[in-house]
Amino acid sequence: MGLVTERAFYVVRRLLQAVPTILVIVSLNFMLVHLAPGNAADVLAGEAGSATPQYMAFLRHEFGLDKPLYLQYVDYLKNVVTLNFGYSFRDGMPVRELILQRLGPTLLLMGTTIVLSIGVGVLLGLFAGTRPNSFRDNVISVFALVSYATPLFWVGLMLILLFSIHLGWLPTSGMTNISAFYAGWQLVGDVIRHLILPAITLSLFYMALYVRLMRASMLEQSGMDYVVTARSKGLTENAITFRHVLRNACLPVVTMAGVQIGNLLGGSVVVETVFGWPGIGLLAFRALFARDLNLLLGIFFIAACLVIFVNILVDVIYTFLDPRIQLR
Amino acid sequence: MADHDARKGKVLDAAPEEKNTSFIINRRQFIQATGAIGLAAGIGGLPFNAAWAAGESAGGKPKKGGTLVMDVQPEPPTLASYISTSGPIGEVSSKVYDGLCEYDFNLKPIPSLATSWNVSSDGKTITFKLREKVKFHDGKPFTSADVQFGIMEVLKKYHPRGINTFKMLEAIDTPDAHTAVFHLSTPAPYMMMALSGYESPIVPKHLFSGTDIRNSKYANNPIGTGPFKFVEWKRGQYMRFDRNPEYWRAGEPHLDRVVARFIASGQTRSAAMQSGEINYGGFAAIPYSDVSRLTKIPGLAATTKGYEMQSPIIELDFNTRVKPFDDVRVRQAISYAIDRKFVIDNVWFGFGKPATGPINSNFAANGFYTSKVKNYNVPNGAEVANKLLDEAGYPRKSDGTRFEIVHDVTPYGDEWKRFGEYTKQALAKIGIKATLRYEDVPTWLRRIYTDYNFQLTSNWIQTLADPVIGVDRLYSSWSIRKGTVFVNDSGWSSPETDKLMKAAAVEIDPVKRAALYHKFQQLVVEAAPLIWVSELHFVTVYSTKYKDLTVSPLGAYSPFNQAWLSA
Repeated sequence: MGLVTERAFYVVRRLLQAVPTILVIVSLNFMLVHLAPGNAADVLAGEAGSATPQYMAFLRHEFGLDKPLYLQYVDYLKNVVTLNFGYSFRDGMPVRELILQRLGPTLLLMGTTIVLSIGVGVLLGLFAGTRPNSFRDNVISVFALVSYATPLFWVGLMLILLFSIHLGWLPTSGMTNISAFYAGWQLVGDVIRHLILPAITLSLFYMALYVRLMRASMLEQSGMDYVVTARSKGLTENAITFRHVLRNACLPVVTMAGVQIGNLLGGSVVVETVFGWPGIGLLAFRALFARDLNLLLGIFFIAACLVIFVNILVDVIYTFLDPRIQLR
Repeated sequence: MADHDARKGKVLDAAPEEKNTSFIINRRQFIQATGAIGLAAGIGGLPFNAAWAAGESAGGKPKKGGTLVMDVQPEPPTLASYISTSGPIGEVSSKVYDGLCEYDFNLKPIPSLATSWNVSSDGKTITFKLREKVKFHDGKPFTSADVQFGIMEVLKKYHPRGINTFKMLEAIDTPDAHTAVFHLSTPAPYMMMALSGYESPIVPKHLFSGTDIRNSKYANNPIGTGPFKFVEWKRGQYMRFDRNPEYWRAGEPHLDRVVARFIASGQTRSAAMQSGEINYGGFAAIPYSDVSRLTKIPGLAATTKGYEMQSPIIELDFNTRVKPFDDVRVRQAISYAIDRKFVIDNVWFGFGKPATGPINSNFAANGFYTSKVKNYNVPNGAEVANKLLDEAGYPRKSDGTRFEIVHDVTPYGDEWKRFGEYTKQALAKIGIKATLRYEDVPTWLRRIYTDYNFQLTSNWIQTLADPVIGVDRLYSSWSIRKGTVFVNDSGWSSPETDKLMKAAAVEIDPVKRAALYHKFQQLVVEAAPLIWVSELHFVTVYSTKYKDLTVSPLGAYSPFNQAWLSA
């Protein structure tokens, strides 16, 4: 069996295995969100600042809150199986539509963050790890430590203060300039300008993690027997570092990145809040406080799928980095 | 650089390169300025007077053009203001929908879609003359049929407050296309206060008739008669409204466009205001803590006008069903123990005025308010409180405490936590040990309004445009309704105050009505089912390039037809 077919089989099998996993996750989610006291009708009426008993009764009925819990669960499972996540009564539109609208900006921010944090993290870790305890290493390590220890929202606000208010180079928030009505390449440029600050803010924390990980991993690998062998073979230091050590040292970083996709969604709530980025994190946050359970569960479902998908992807990436790893 | 094809109306000589919106404007006399001064004088004690005064300077002719970017916080759930009264909806829907009336700063109705009205001597028939040649945004004419349908079939049936406001309204006759005759079963003077485009939007009959009102496809694609047309809503980002060229007030609106942006972080909103990315933030969208800093920046100013029909009051609510708060002396004691001025200055950055009772002093404008009530805001409050608690049979124990309570903190922001911490200290001084409890909004609502499982909670209530709409719900026996939020949570009522509220609701002589409310205030304040702490002042921060933004007591809820950009 060729390597490509092997990988394809592997991915299909993992996808099939994911189905029961997801069912368990959505059931747990359902129970968890129903543990929270208060319901969407209370919140909606609370936002209204006033309500009559008729209105409250109508809301509860409309949201299906007057049904027994097991019937709500059955309804919910039906919705999940048909990939129709129900209706967000608060927003007055189907959950699927709401999520799809927000998925793009979220993926854009997440993707940029992943590329930026892994790219810069690996690079800095490599620089630090190849000259341990040098001045270069110390500077990078301190930078990583500070980035890791600083709260995201604070970094975000400081960047806004510097780049938006003092220097006036970049916008404070949003995804596009709402009064310019750009199109084509101008629109792309505009979105990039808006993306810079949130992406940097979100990347700093993860980057710091990858720098530390990469540095440690480089140090560990450089003491391995194969490095001694390569050196005795007469390979240059650069060739050893880039052809052999780097690939091996990347494995822990890739593992960590796979695990952290879920966290990234969580961290993006803060960044989306600070920068007014129209992503899914903020939507989830709002849904939670409004007890908009259909929407919340829909977002959980998407997040679960994303995490599972990324983990399969990570396993496949392993085989490229290290051909000795077999997919089973 | 920018594409201008999307812009409508006249050519703008604005500089679109500026990252902020830029524009052109035109101007119009700020007629209400004089009316406003009387009210502002009553507010008193405003910080940052210089910045305040700079706001609405008159003079100069309004210019055409420009975009106003307002921050609306939080993002509205829908645009269906005819079935939801959620606060942020009104800030946007009021640009699209007109009502029969608008209001001046004396809280008097003035013409909008209705040009005049006549109330019969028994108060049970009101004849509205409607404006002619008014068109909905889809080009269809506005007639009395829209009024009849919009109020009887939509607002009276589905609007959360409309169900009460129009309860006495039995029928609307339409003798011709521009006359609507309201028939009431009993007089309802408060109804005339609830006819703005924010409170009672008139929707087009031809689009809503025969459809499911609660699931209309025009909910988030509103068609009204207002100065701005709805264009698009990018969820999580912005809503866009463009000038309605066929607006019935000739020559208005002056602005080409109003954009509502949604930024979840208060600090970012402040930064965006500073960098000019937003030009207007109402309802304390800009955190109170940032207002004084921002208003020192040239080009920015703030006002607390434009909330006279909201009139929020910060309170502490007792659960009078449980000991020790079933005893009026205990309630009065705690009321004496709260230093209102301290709370306003230190927790709300000066944005408020000590409250004296259930009716906000904004109602001094129409005579309903009285300050001649029992005064708890006295310098020796703690002393009086200690004496009352001794009398009530709660003496200090050996550890100096009298009893312990749990104090719930209403989950609407950081100020409330500070206020909770203050209350805890104030109670400690009179021997009451309070433990603070913080919960999220749904949990808190459930605890206070459904389970009644609380002792003392902080809270705030908007007393709205008329006591019948905003005040009765907190004190009447018929408002003790389990499961309904923001009604009578204290569980207190009395036959005498019930009678006064019922009488005032149908009294059409304003002087007699005021007398009933004065008596009501005296009785309720004496019974102290709540502690009225502060008349909270919302604050609007805005760019001074924009003129005539706050021209009515509805402030951010007004249509902005007069607003214009000066530079």
